[in-house]
Formats: sequence, C-alpha cells, structure tokens
Amino acid sequence: MARPSPGLMFILPAILILMMLIAYPIVYTLILSAVDAHGNFTIKNYANVLKPYVTRQAFQNLIVYVGGSIVFQVILGTAAALLLNRKFWGRGVVRSITLIPWVVPGIVAATTWAWMFHTEFGIINYMLAGAHIIPGPIGWLTNPNTVMPVLVAINVWKLFPFVAIMVLAGLQAIPAELYEAAKIDGATVWDEIVQITLPQVRPVLVAVTLLLVIWGLNAITLIYAITQGGPANLSLITPIQIYQLAFVSFQFNAAAALSVLFFIVAAIIVAIYIKVIPSSAETAR
Amino acid sequence: MTTAGTSLERRPLAATGIAIAAIVLVVVCLFPFAWMALSSIKKLPELFTVPPHWLPNEPTLDNYATVFFHSNIPRYFLNSCIISGGATLFALALAVFAAYGFARFEFRGKAWLQTFVLVGQLLPTAAIIVPLFITLRWLHLINTYWGLILIYTIITLPLSVWMLTSYLRGIPVELEEAATIDGASRLGVLFRITLPLAMPGVVAVIVFCFVTCWNEFVFALVFAQDQSVKTLPIGLAEFSTEFNTDWGGVMAASMVMTLPVVILFLAFQRLFVGGLTAGATKG
Repeated sequence: MARPSPGLMFILPAILILMMLIAYPIVYTLILSAVDAHGNFTIKNYANVLKPYVTRQAFQNLIVYVGGSIVFQVILGTAAALLLNRKFWGRGVVRSITLIPWVVPGIVAATTWAWMFHTEFGIINYMLAGAHIIPGPIGWLTNPNTVMPVLVAINVWKLFPFVAIMVLAGLQAIPAELYEAAKIDGATVWDEIVQITLPQVRPVLVAVTLLLVIWGLNAITLIYAITQGGPANLSLITPIQIYQLAFVSFQFNAAAALSVLFFIVAAIIVAIYIKVIPSSAETAR
Repeated sequence: MTTAGTSLERRPLAATGIAIAAIVLVVVCLFPFAWMALSSIKKLPELFTVPPHWLPNEPTLDNYATVFFHSNIPRYFLNSCIISGGATLFALALAVFAAYGFARFEFRGKAWLQTFVLVGQLLPTAAIIVPLFITLRWLHLINTYWGLILIYTIITLPLSVWMLTSYLRGIPVELEEAATIDGASRLGVLFRITLPLAMPGVVAVIVFCFVTCWNEFVFALVFAQDQSVKTLPIGLAEFSTEFNTDWGGVMAASMVMTLPVVILFLAFQRLFVGGLTAGATKG
C-alpha cells in the first residue's frame, strides 16, 4: 500500500476545490488589502481601519462575547453531560431533546429569542415581572447594560448541547474499572468527578473548546439577526464590522485589510490556545 | 452504557436531584421551541396582548396560510432543498474519495495536506467572505444556485473529510485486501466493499452537510439577493419591515423551516452523534 500516486489521486479533487475557493481568495484578500481603488500599492487601508474607535470597540465586544460564551458553554455543557451519563427513566428522550437548541437554525433561534425578549410583548419580561424579579419591563436588547449579557446567554443556549454530546461521548469511553476502584477506596461522587471524570475527559474538553473558539470568532448570525450590532455599536463584533464595510458601505479594500488583521489575530489566538492550554491544564490540576 | 450510572442505586437521594436537573434541562432546551409553536397559532391581536397569554384563546392556522399562500416561503423552501441537496451531494462525493485516500494510503505530504483540509475548517467566515464574493462575481455565480452550492460544498467539506476518514480507519483493511486479491480494482473495492460498510459514517456526513447548508445564513445573505435563489433563513427576514414585524408569520415560517431539520436530525441522531464524536475525539 505504499505506492505514492493512487492516494494522492483520491485526494486531489477535494484539495483542488479547497485551494481554488480558500487558498486563492486568501491570497487575493492580501493583495486587495494593500492596494487603493486604482490598484496602486498602499498601506492606507490598514491605517483607515485601525484608526477609528469602532474597530477597537468591535474587537473588545468580540472577546467579551466569545470568552463569556465559552465559559458558560463549557460549564453547562459538562454539567449536562454528567447528568445525561447517569441512569434515569427517560434518559434517551432527554438526550435527544438536549440536542434541539443546537440543531435549530441560528436565524430561527435568533428571531424566537428576540420575540421572547420583546420589551412590551415578550414572555420573559412577563415572567420576570410576574415573579417580582424585575420591577417592570426591561428593554433587554436596547439597554446598553443588558444587550451583551443577553446575546451571550442566547449563544450559550445554542451551543452548550454541542459540548454536552462531545463530553458525553468522552464520559462513555472512561473504563468502568476506574470507578469500581474508586468505590472500593470509598470515594464520594465529588471525588469521582474531580479525580477520575474530569481528567479523563480533559482531551475532549480541549478539542471542544478549540472548536468553540473558532466558531465563536466566526459567529455573525445571532448578533446580526437580533441587534445588527446596536445599540450604538455596543454589540458590534469584528465579523459584522467586516460584513458592513464590504456589503453595506462597499469599501472592499478596507474590508479586506480588516479581514487580514482579523485572520492574523484569530490565528494567533488559536495557536496560543493549542500551545498553552493542554500543558497549563495539566499543571493547574 | 458501561460507566458511571451504577452509583445511583447507592444514593436514593440523588435520584430526586437528577430528576429535577433533567426536568430543568428539558424545559430550558424546549421552551423557546414551544413558545415559537404557540406563537405561530395565535392571531396577531393576541400576540400583541399585555400580559401575554400562555395558550391561544382561539388557535388559528392563519399564520401558516400566510406563509404558504401569501409569501415567498414555498419558493425559498424549494431553493433551500436544491442548494442544500446539491451541496451535500458534492461534498459527499469529494469527501468519500479524499477520506479513502487519507485512510488507506501513505504518500509524501499527506500530513501537510490533512492539515490544509483542517485549516479550511478553521478559517473565519468573515475573513473569506469578501474574496469569495469577488471570486464568485468574476465567475458570474452571484445569485445562482451553483454559486451557493459551490460555497456550501467547501464549508462542509473539511469536517466531512475528517469524519469519514476516522470512520474508514475503523474498517478492517483485510476485507479490502481479500477483494484486491480476487482482482477487484481500487474503485471497485471502494464502492463495493468499503462504502457499504461505511454507511453509518456516510449517513452522518449527509445529515451534517444538509443541516449545515439548510441553516446557513451569512453566505446566503451575501450571495443570494434575488428571490429566485434566496434560501429560507433569508426569507425569514422578509416578514419584518423597518417599522413592523409580522411575528405570527415569522413564527410560522420558523416552524416550517425548523421541523425538517429537527426530524431529519432526530431520525439519524445515533449515527450522526457517533460519526461526529468519532471524528472529533479520534481525528
């Protein structure tokens, strides 16, 4: 099976189409970002996108959005997985239902939550006011203090099921003997979780968190559909800023420059994560 | 199931806690979906009632009638089917060959190429959307089925290759070697021996691709601006104008759009979750 050619032939079609539609556009973006409207070399595009305050603000929002989402996605997803790994009546159905938020189209989740968070007619204001948790209706999506936390909460709802299924698969791969041994040693449930379960699913958690980082940096749909970045850019994130630069104000060169910067930063974040997290998690334990 | 479940019998008190946690989990996951369904069968005045009614006083199918007979949703539904189906077909075809190549052959640069495929999955949408737009415009593929099919093929391809490769690795190579000795060609082996055995992995990839394309929003927003090719996610926005939103119509359209993927997903859930977790934990 060591002949070089046939394997390559099998892979070639996929590689070619990826090259054409991923590698080529990236190179093209680089070129686009470094020329002006007449095709002359310039670095003005970079200066133009770096200067305005909105670029920094969008990036800060992105970090808050992605960071905040991931913390809760991982905690809630792991908790759900631990629950779904226990034996109880109706577990199969609960496992299926847990996946629904993840399967529901992002745009549907966005509109449904926007309707539930509606200031006047939304069910959430009604329930919270009825339970006297809040004094009166809150404009969740227009209030500067609530808009980001609400968007993070919706994003957590959408993606914690993904963490749950992946961690559940990891849990199911843990050999039963480890728990048997712990039982003989008189370990409590808490001991079992901290000493056996978490260390055993750590590789899954690392992989899942990486995916969440990448998807988080990618995320446009929820925020775009719910607030379009408002109010007053308070929920504007870099991907939406790029979209607006390119397809609302048609500044392709500026959008390309911001794309390049964003791509570099995203690559650095991912690289740092891959290098740092596995080893630091080891020592932290 | 082989693992931690057994500890439950020792601690009867834990059973109550587990039941409560399970109920909370179900409510959290289903509540928005249930509220969508309830809102979709309420008349407009009842949607705009303070305080909101939990159950509709007079359930109505008017919103569904609006969606089916007085909106572009049926056309968008068709567009979504064509585009998602087409992209799934292409991604699957490319992924089957690529995965077979990665799983069964050793060749120079294989590790490098595998990394390249993965990088495709890691690229931020926002970073490639401008160049893709320019490329598609140059190819005259903006506002065509082919444009979106092409885009969706490449965004689903990397994970499809990943999932299928790890699935094919799990199939014993001896079966293929026996067939090769009997004189079957490489392609014959792939299609007559390996692929039938890999059916669960193939189905997982099909579900993944179709659901991803069906749900995709951002690329559709940019590359399909004409009614003849708009997909369902974009169509949802047409119930909103600058001043008003027909929430009943939005919720009914959301149901129409969500039910196919939920049914598809629940039907193949076991295969899909198996394929995905295999790809992510072993890949």
